[in-house]
Amino acid sequence: MANDHLTTLPAQSREIAERLAEIVGPRGVLQRPSELVVYQSDGLPGYAKQPHLAVLPRTRDELVAIVRLLAERRVPFVPRGAGTGLSGGALADDVVLIGLNRLNRILSIDPVERLAVVEPGVVNVALTRAATPYGLHYAPDPSSQAACTIGGNVAENAGGPHCLKYGVTLNHVRAVTAILPDGEIIHLGNDAGEADGYDLLGAFVGSEGCFGIALDVTVKLSPNPPAVRTLLADFMSIEAAARATSAIIASGIVPAALEMMDGATIRAVEASIYAAGYPVDAEAILLIELDGLAAGIDVDVARVEAICRAAKARTIRVARDEAERARLWQGRKKAFGAMGRVSPHLVVQDAVIPRTRLPEVLAAIHEIATRQRITVCNVFHAGDGNLHPNIGYDANDSEEQARVHAAMREIMATCVAAGGTITGEHGIGLDKLEYMPLIFSDESLAAMCRLREVFDPDRRSNPGKVVPVRSCREWYAAPRAARGA
Amino acid sequence: MVRRAQGGAGGVMADVPNAARIAPAPASPVTPAGEAGGAAMPASTADVRDAVRFAAGRRTPLRLAGRGTWLGAGRPVSAAVILRLDGLTGIIEYTPGDLTLTARAGTSLAEIASATAAEGQWLALAPWGGDAGSLGATVATASAGPVGGSLGMPRDVVIGVEAVTGVGDIIRGGGRVVKNVAGFDLTRLMVGSWGTLGVVTEVSVRLRALPEHDVTVALSVPPTLAALADWLATLRAAPVAPLALELLSPRLARHLTLGDSSVLLARIAGNAELVAAQQDALGALGDATAVSGDIWSRLRTIEPDQATVLRFSGPVAHFADTWAAAERIAMSTVGGLAHASVLRAVARVILPHAGEELPDGALVALRAGARQTRVFERLPPSLWPSLAPSAVSDRLSLGVRAAFDPHRILNPGILGEPLA
Repeated sequence: MANDHLTTLPAQSREIAERLAEIVGPRGVLQRPSELVVYQSDGLPGYAKQPHLAVLPRTRDELVAIVRLLAERRVPFVPRGAGTGLSGGALADDVVLIGLNRLNRILSIDPVERLAVVEPGVVNVALTRAATPYGLHYAPDPSSQAACTIGGNVAENAGGPHCLKYGVTLNHVRAVTAILPDGEIIHLGNDAGEADGYDLLGAFVGSEGCFGIALDVTVKLSPNPPAVRTLLADFMSIEAAARATSAIIASGIVPAALEMMDGATIRAVEASIYAAGYPVDAEAILLIELDGLAAGIDVDVARVEAICRAAKARTIRVARDEAERARLWQGRKKAFGAMGRVSPHLVVQDAVIPRTRLPEVLAAIHEIATRQRITVCNVFHAGDGNLHPNIGYDANDSEEQARVHAAMREIMATCVAAGGTITGEHGIGLDKLEYMPLIFSDESLAAMCRLREVFDPDRRSNPGKVVPVRSCREWYAAPRAARGA
Repeated sequence: MVRRAQGGAGGVMADVPNAARIAPAPASPVTPAGEAGGAAMPASTADVRDAVRFAAGRRTPLRLAGRGTWLGAGRPVSAAVILRLDGLTGIIEYTPGDLTLTARAGTSLAEIASATAAEGQWLALAPWGGDAGSLGATVATASAGPVGGSLGMPRDVVIGVEAVTGVGDIIRGGGRVVKNVAGFDLTRLMVGSWGTLGVVTEVSVRLRALPEHDVTVALSVPPTLAALADWLATLRAAPVAPLALELLSPRLARHLTLGDSSVLLARIAGNAELVAAQQDALGALGDATAVSGDIWSRLRTIEPDQATVLRFSGPVAHFADTWAAAERIAMSTVGGLAHASVLRAVARVILPHAGEELPDGALVALRAGARQTRVFERLPPSLWPSLAPSAVSDRLSLGVRAAFDPHRILNPGILGEPLA
């Protein structure tokens, strides 16, 4: 247990629950097992943790009071948005789980500065909807954008298909007001995006809830592009689609999005209510979107078509209208849901490789899947090399689960060996802890522990995530003198 | 306690008893040399680690230097030993198809520009000051230039960093791929930390393809501030997506032989059709004259080494006020220049002959600019304490500093942190 120096919650749980109920009202504190089930896991199967209770603040003041109470009692807690995470990140045993969905107010939208200030529980797509009248949108668009929250996006440094051209959450967050685990309120960054001093905002974004809780987030809004073209190209092999992807990237054209889906995924989508009209006999499709000013966009479309044709695309079609475009995208964004038809459980995996290595790494993943006798569906952000090899399985079959785990480990090692990394947008959480030493030295992991300690010396906020306990243990076990303190 | 290193060969080492026993002089990576103090010139990350460990053991403050082009920037550093990183050069990995590149910190931007241009690509940092400086210093100081508003700031362009902390640990953040959320973000922490959290030894960056067509036009600018504000609002709504929009003060325009009044340089790029359409759209906004593309390197290198340089930024809605404040300060000194990156609403003032003091008019204007965020790049040393004593006075920043450089030996004082 990483936090054995902290007060265990059950010892004082009754009193804590009473105090929390004084803050949020009795209906804002959930303690019954039936009420807590939903907070045991996130979007990734295989991890279930038992929070001691969940508390649901409705206002910033309530949240501040909660964090200060927990600080006073040295109680560990887990901040949680919509629970759509895919790394086992927003869950832990014996903690107070702070659900942030009710903090869902958009505090301001400034169309001239193109900035919005939102509470952490605002749903990603709700912000874009609110910005639409001004011709603006919030660019990072995770597949879960209809449910996931901006606070969760900040914690995970979330991505999405359109991050290829427009950047991930980090590139769109200008400032954060946060409450540290000790109850202090801090302001990171500034509206102008001007840097003087350390980029603590950059450190906070993607810290997976280990550095504190955002009270409000100032994000950039992007102008809607005047012209959009969405292409669907289909291929008779994954390798051909991968070669087309590498060639488009190398050509210098920066698509707004460049997504790949393999045959198994296409067929799952087409058999579902999200059927998008993808050709079911294809082995891979690319969904390619170009956007920007109207002038010259069709020249780039023609170049992308030529590249795809040279890579042996079978057919290429350009969406004729917004309805067709929306349909093509819905199939992509709901692909994970569609796969639910294929198997009872689905591990949505996440890794990144250099884009020139796509053909060989996808072939290697196929070989691993065949050897381990598992089904891998690939639907991913090909344009930035961000793979999502998804494994359908039955979590009640322990033998199958063991093969899934072995395959996962091999896939991660393959991606790292190709010069890649173990997560591009889902985070480390619990799921990737064991792979951290594949990419970071003990010294780097210890540095991350030190950084965390600056924000959260007790390691009470989302305990046990991101950096393997072993690395931090060794750091804390070292004599203070050796730590330079 | 760290003792402040004295000038002179003996000063650095004399504080430390039995220095020779701890590390015999011939093998010592930090060699005191000459009157000005010591110097070390590592050739590898391991050398940097050895030098920092040696210095940390003796609590010897180090002044980090890349290619020495921007040593006048930032607050004065109290260190007698210079850790020179210009021996740490070379591109380590460059796969054009991936549009990523990894180079040692002392590699010049010019070397990277020439290697990438051969593949039709470029590193879109292009900071003020030109390409003579090193990649490591650009990243450590988070220096940006005219394309920062469209193609990203250093924090957006850097994908991985290797650094040596103040206790000599070699750490890495990020990696060599364009998307990466593994671990707490040591990369963002190193970018803009001015070397005070670690000696940057290696940097990975994302690259861009050089545009097919890349055209710059100079637009004449309305003479009054009110008209300028309206005109810029029109420009913002026009069908153009410029790589850069840089407003130049009359004196700066004159320096660059662009006439005698204020101009706006617009850089537009893309395929032929896209560039032509944008040229037409800009032409509709006023007199547009095509300018040679080398205007950007001329502009970036216009400031002399000894100039005082500061930046103002404020809300887009009040950009005209920001620009007015910048121009006021520029006009208050002999030869003062001002320019502004319109896409970011950041104005920059260059005072080439400020010397040790700023004129009273400039100081009054500076202190009046309450609405703007002010960042000082280079100031006469005597002015730092009154104008910008510290960038890291808060508890978290000091905590981060202590976590990565507990003895405060890396560039002590450059961010205005209390000396150890």
